[in-house]
Formats: sequence, structure tokens, C-alpha cells
Amino acid sequence: MKSISAPPTRNALRLALLASVLGAAVPGASLAETVLTVAQRSDPQNLDPIDTFKISWGAIGSNVFEGLVFRGEDLELQPGLATSWEFLDEDRRIRFHLREGVEFQDGEPFDAAAVKYTFDRLLGEQGEKGPQRSNYTSIKEVVVVDDRTVDFLMNRPDPVLLTKLAGYGAMIVPPDYIEKVGEEAFDMKPIGTGPFRVEEYTPGVGVKLVKSDSYWNGAAKVDAVNIRFIPEDATRMAELQSGGVDIALDIPKPSVDTIRKSRNLELVSVDGPTVSLTRFNTQSGITADPRVRRAIAHAIDTNAIIQSLLGGMASPIASAQGAKSFGNDPDLAPYAYDPELAKTLLAEAGVAPGTEISLDYPSNDNTFREVSQVMAAYLGMVGLNLSVHPYEYNVYYNDILPNGKTGALYYYAWGGWTFDFDNTAYLLYHSGERQNAYISDPTLDALLEQQRDTYDQQVRLTALQGVADYVYEHTLDLPLYNEATLYAVNKRVGGFVPAPDNRLRYMNVTVQ
Amino acid sequence: MPVLRFILQRVVQAILVTLVVTLFVAFAIRLTGDPAVMLAGDSSGVTEQDLARFREALGLNDPFLVQYWGFVKSLVTLDFGQSFFRGSVRDLIGGALPATLLLAAASMAVSVCISIPLGIHSALHKGGISDQLIRVLSLVGLSFPNFWLGIMLVLLFAIAFPILPASGFQSWSALILPATTIGIILTATNVRLVRTQMLETLSAQYVMVARAKGLSEWTVIYKHALRNAAISIVTFLGLQFGNLIGGLVIIELVFNWPGMGTLSIDAISQRDYPLLQATVSILAIMIVAVNLAVDLIYGLIDPRIRVA
Repeated sequence: MKSISAPPTRNALRLALLASVLGAAVPGASLAETVLTVAQRSDPQNLDPIDTFKISWGAIGSNVFEGLVFRGEDLELQPGLATSWEFLDEDRRIRFHLREGVEFQDGEPFDAAAVKYTFDRLLGEQGEKGPQRSNYTSIKEVVVVDDRTVDFLMNRPDPVLLTKLAGYGAMIVPPDYIEKVGEEAFDMKPIGTGPFRVEEYTPGVGVKLVKSDSYWNGAAKVDAVNIRFIPEDATRMAELQSGGVDIALDIPKPSVDTIRKSRNLELVSVDGPTVSLTRFNTQSGITADPRVRRAIAHAIDTNAIIQSLLGGMASPIASAQGAKSFGNDPDLAPYAYDPELAKTLLAEAGVAPGTEISLDYPSNDNTFREVSQVMAAYLGMVGLNLSVHPYEYNVYYNDILPNGKTGALYYYAWGGWTFDFDNTAYLLYHSGERQNAYISDPTLDALLEQQRDTYDQQVRLTALQGVADYVYEHTLDLPLYNEATLYAVNKRVGGFVPAPDNRLRYMNVTVQ
Repeated sequence: MPVLRFILQRVVQAILVTLVVTLFVAFAIRLTGDPAVMLAGDSSGVTEQDLARFREALGLNDPFLVQYWGFVKSLVTLDFGQSFFRGSVRDLIGGALPATLLLAAASMAVSVCISIPLGIHSALHKGGISDQLIRVLSLVGLSFPNFWLGIMLVLLFAIAFPILPASGFQSWSALILPATTIGIILTATNVRLVRTQMLETLSAQYVMVARAKGLSEWTVIYKHALRNAAISIVTFLGLQFGNLIGGLVIIELVFNWPGMGTLSIDAISQRDYPLLQATVSILAIMIVAVNLAVDLIYGLIDPRIRVA
């Protein structure tokens, strides 16, 4: 309280301090320096790779950190900090050969000990407090063979492990630096082996990245990247239009036209990981009847929704995954728009015209708010009276959804960055999953477990397609669309490659 | 010493208000969701054990009063504890509070610079065309939602004529648009206040006496009338400052201003109990403190108020 009741001196000091810090951050001080300015919606709140699951981290951390495996914009797995790997002892051991001559940004060498430290930390006490550990529990132990070789001993097969090693929790961290500065300092100013180091992180404001001179794979083309967090859509777009930022992420759909028409800006779109679907209460009410679910699916013209409300910036989907996802079945077609069939099915199921049903969704999704109104109109045409209920985001995902308190229909969007259907399908269809309140089906459980038990991609593909087919056949969900990941880029920017998974890399980007 | 007792009374009152407000906030936010779920994210494979582990790590398994007592202790020792997701609360507030105070002060300055001359002018030309115009404009100003005005200013000065930054606090020029937005909204009220006070003072007997003595119009208005009108104007501005702090939230969001409003909204959406409790407490304390300061100044100027 003391600091509050003494405003004249202390606050004046703080203001002066703030002014000097901000003054120093003004670009004018650095004439020869090229700075790329990026605006993204959210602050990851913590830069430690094991303390986050946020896409907003991916767009920053992918420039600071590297994993043993690298997955770039084409989504193909390539050597990263490991140059090669082999499966030994009937797949119970994975041996990684590590790259020579790599250093962390403070000069600490990258070696087998750093890899072991990274995974001991992730699977140990420190990882306990973070959300990433649950992704890596298939690893029993990491053993140092020699300075350039490590073995991963596995508890069980994990077919998505190599993909996961290319992102988030598996990013290699520096043991000496963490021991020296402590975990809390590492949250705010971490160090990795990537092309940029963190110069300054101001929560709620932004992160300044500076080119690392010791990067093993060449040097970044800009000297610094200034990433700003601007949560308000309108404000982010205003900064983009006024030239205050060079690249903007999280483009709101209503802004698509404005960006397209602008002379200075370019809209870049790529198939994204995010799928939007409406799910059904399959246990009680009229949607427990598969004929009613199928009727609803045929009553809604998702193509029209994509063209009119999403500006064409999405693709139709037949299961809860996009075309780029492993496990996608290209032969599965979305339910056809057929209102007459819908009416027939509803009549067969004994649903009287004018029957009320409800749809719940999280209120922060402005796009879906509009989509839901159009859905209500479509359902009205086949005799169902749909009421829509928005809930505050956290209430929706903490209470309404996991506790099965939803209406007959409810909205779900999911963007698994791994682009492997396992990630989505397990979450949506396996019995007992926290966000799957209604489906408990031995057939689905068996298929989902079968594809988790093997590295044989053909077996996995068959099982995952089996899941999609089964869900489609029983209309357990109504998949709506696969949203494109959109970026707006000022034309003074060069070399920008859009990342489908939002894990942008600024290494080869230039600014004029 | 009546002054000391008065101060002591008000300080105790301030502490009680803070406790009641934070207790309410602490209780209410716990009804709305579980920070462990926020921490876990949407990952598949997150089990109930994981959530239980997070709750233990965040101290959420302790009884409510134990958690609240921990917060009160952290408030008294001024360390404010740890945010659930982003480090020390004190550091976060240390970054945000100066920005909010700066914006509030700049907005007040904008408002004072516009409203005092306009208010005086209006009073001196009571009933004239300029007076009526000023009164209509201030009514229009009162009717604007402040975020709308903010967005309009951005469209005009950051996009159509890009001379000012649209958001953030990367440079001092970024202060201009948000401070002007709030300043204009405050001006709408303040012009009317200054006008009324001046009219009242101008009709007072001592002003007539001063005029009768043949003093210049300038001396009459600025040395005699304005000084007397100032007492109530300053009081009102003080109270307004307190309300303004709370009202900055929307404008901070529109302009992405890195202040307490933005921080509180983040804390709410993340269910970051320690951070939210601390931001709300500090805002409450500030409002109570400004009220106290206004009372004291008033009391010092006019001893009769102290006794009452």
C-alpha cells in the first residue's frame, strides 16, 4: 500500500523509467538495423517450451528453439538438431545422432547432455507443473550413449513422437543457462539454438527477438523481429492498415475484403489445422436418434456458409480433419445438402415440425456466431426451431462441455498442430476423454488404441480412416469446415512463407 | 488532533473497502472456472490426475479462506505473490500501473486544457451563439460511447491520414490518440461544470464589488472568480480521476495500451486469481486514496468541512 499512497515521488520515478525504457525501444535509435514488426492476437504468457500449449508460443518459440526433428512449412519431417535416427530393439529404443557444431545463443555447446537434460526436465518435477508432459509419457528415459548420440527408451510405441519432437515441449533447452539463471528467469528470457534470441519480453506488450550470430545454419536476414500482442481484432487491423506492422496473424474473416482491396497489403492463405464442427448430444433428447442427426447434417448447406460467411477462406470437410492431416480419407465426401431428405428423416424419426432444439457455443467466436444464425435458418426450413446459446469461453470449455450440459448441438473447434488425426480423434471420440461427454463406443476405442500401438503408418492410416468412416456412418458429428490459416503481409516484406500450423519462421524474411 | 483522527478514520475505511472488494472478487472469480483447465489447454491425453496435479501446484486445493489469507498477506507485504501463468505479480503491475497513470494524467490534462477556457467562455457569453454551440457539443460528447470515438480517431489519424500510431506504447506519440479520446469524453462533463461554477461565482457579491472598484475584467475573472470556482472544480476533477481509472479499461483495449485495464482483462480470461485480485485491489485502493486526498484538500481549504 505504501507505494500507492506515495505517488508523487515513486510514480514519477516509475514513469521516468518507463519513458526511458520505451524511448529506447523506439526504432529511430537504430538506423542501420532492419526490424520486422509482427502483430499477433495473444501473448503466450510464458516462453518456456514446456509451460505452454499455445499456438501463440509457436509463432515466437519456433524462431528461438529447435528440436531434434524439424518440420517446416511443407509439414515433412526432416533432420533438425539430430542428423539421423534409427529404431532399435524392436522399436523399443530410438537412437538419435546429433548435429556437430551447434551452440545455444549464449555459447553453451549443444550435446547429448543437453538432450538428456531437456527430457529429464520435461518428464520430471519441472514438467509436472506444465501442460506439455502428457504428450511425452511414452518416453521412459533418455540415455546418453556418447557426446553425439542419445537413446530414447520407450514405455510403449508412439507413432506421433517424431512429429512431436519437432515442436513445443520437446524443444532442446540449455542446462547450464537454466541452472545459472533459474526457472523463473528462463520463463521470461529463454535461450535455445535457433536463429533468434529473446532480447526482451514484456508481458501483454510484446517480445523483441534479435538475430543470433552463432546460429549454425546461416544468419537471419533481418536484425530483429518485434512481435506485438494486439488482442483486439479492430486494433490489430488498424495497425496493419496504417503500416505499423509488417505481418499480422489471426486475421478476422470480416477483414479479408479490406486487405484484398488494399494496395499495400497482401492476403496469404494456407490450409490450416483448425476444424470446426457441431457435435451432437448422442445420449439423450431427439439427437440420440441417428436419423435426426443425419437429417440435421443434410439440412445445412456448409458450402454456402463457406462461400458467403467465410469469404471462401475454408474448405469443406467430411471428418474432423483437413486434407493435410494424416488419417484423412479423400474418398469420404461431406453430407450433401438435401433438405427434402432431411424432412423425410425427421418424419421417420417422429419429430414434429416446430420442435425446439438448442445449440451452444463459446461467445468469443465471432465467426461462428454468424454461422450459427445461418444454421438456425437452414434448420427452420426443415421444421426444427434452433435456439443458439453463447457461453463465456472458459465456462463453456470448463463446465458446459465436459459435464455434458450442452444442448442437442454444440460447437467445437480444434487445431492440432501435429496434423495427425490421432491428436483430434482421440480427444473427440475415445471414451472418458475430458471433452467428449457423450460418446463411449468400444469400436472407436479399439480403433483409436490400435493406431497408437504401432509405428506402421499403413496400419495407422487404415485405423484412423476407420474412425472417420464410423463417425460419418453414425453421424456422431457434423463437420462444418476446415479454416484456412490467414496472414496479412505488407508488400515491403519479402521471403515470407506461410505456415499452416502458425509456427512462423522469420529467418528468411526481409523488409525493405 | 481532529485532522489526524480524520485521516486515520479514512485510512481504516480504505483498508476495509479494499478487503471487502477483494473478498468479493476472489469469491466471484472462483465460481467461474478452473485455472487448472486453462493451464492444461485442450490437449488430448490430459487426465484428471494432471488436473489434480496442476491444482496442487497452484495451491487451489487449500480452503478458500486459506487462499484468501495468503493473498491478504501478499498484499500487506507488497510482494503480491506469483501469477498462475506469468511470473511475479509485482513485476506485471510495475509495468502496467505507470502506463495507466500516465494515460489518466494525460487525459485529464487534455480535458482541463479544453474545458476550462471553453467553460469560462461559455459563462461569459451566456445565452450567446457560442455558448449554445458549446453546450450542444458537450451534450453530443456525453452521448458518445468512448470506444466508438476511439475507433473513429484511429480510422482518421492512423489509417486515413497515417500521422499517429494506432495502438500500443512504442513511442510518445502513441499517447495522443487514447488521451484525446478520454480527454474529449471528460471534457463534455467538465465544460458544463466549469460553466456553472463560473456563472455562480460571477454573480457573487464580491465579484460585483471588484467590478465596481474598477478592476480590469481580466483581474476580475482570473484573480477573483476563477480562483473561487476552482475549489469545486478541483474537487470534482479529483473524484473524476478516481472514476477515470476504472473507466480506462475499454480504451486500453481499443488502443492496446499496456496498462492495468488490459492486465485485468487478461487475468479474468485466464482465471489468474492472484493477478486479478491484485489489480482489482490496487485500482480500489487508488480510488479510495484519491477520494481521501480530495477530502483532505477540501478540509484544509475550508476548516468547517473537517469538523462536520
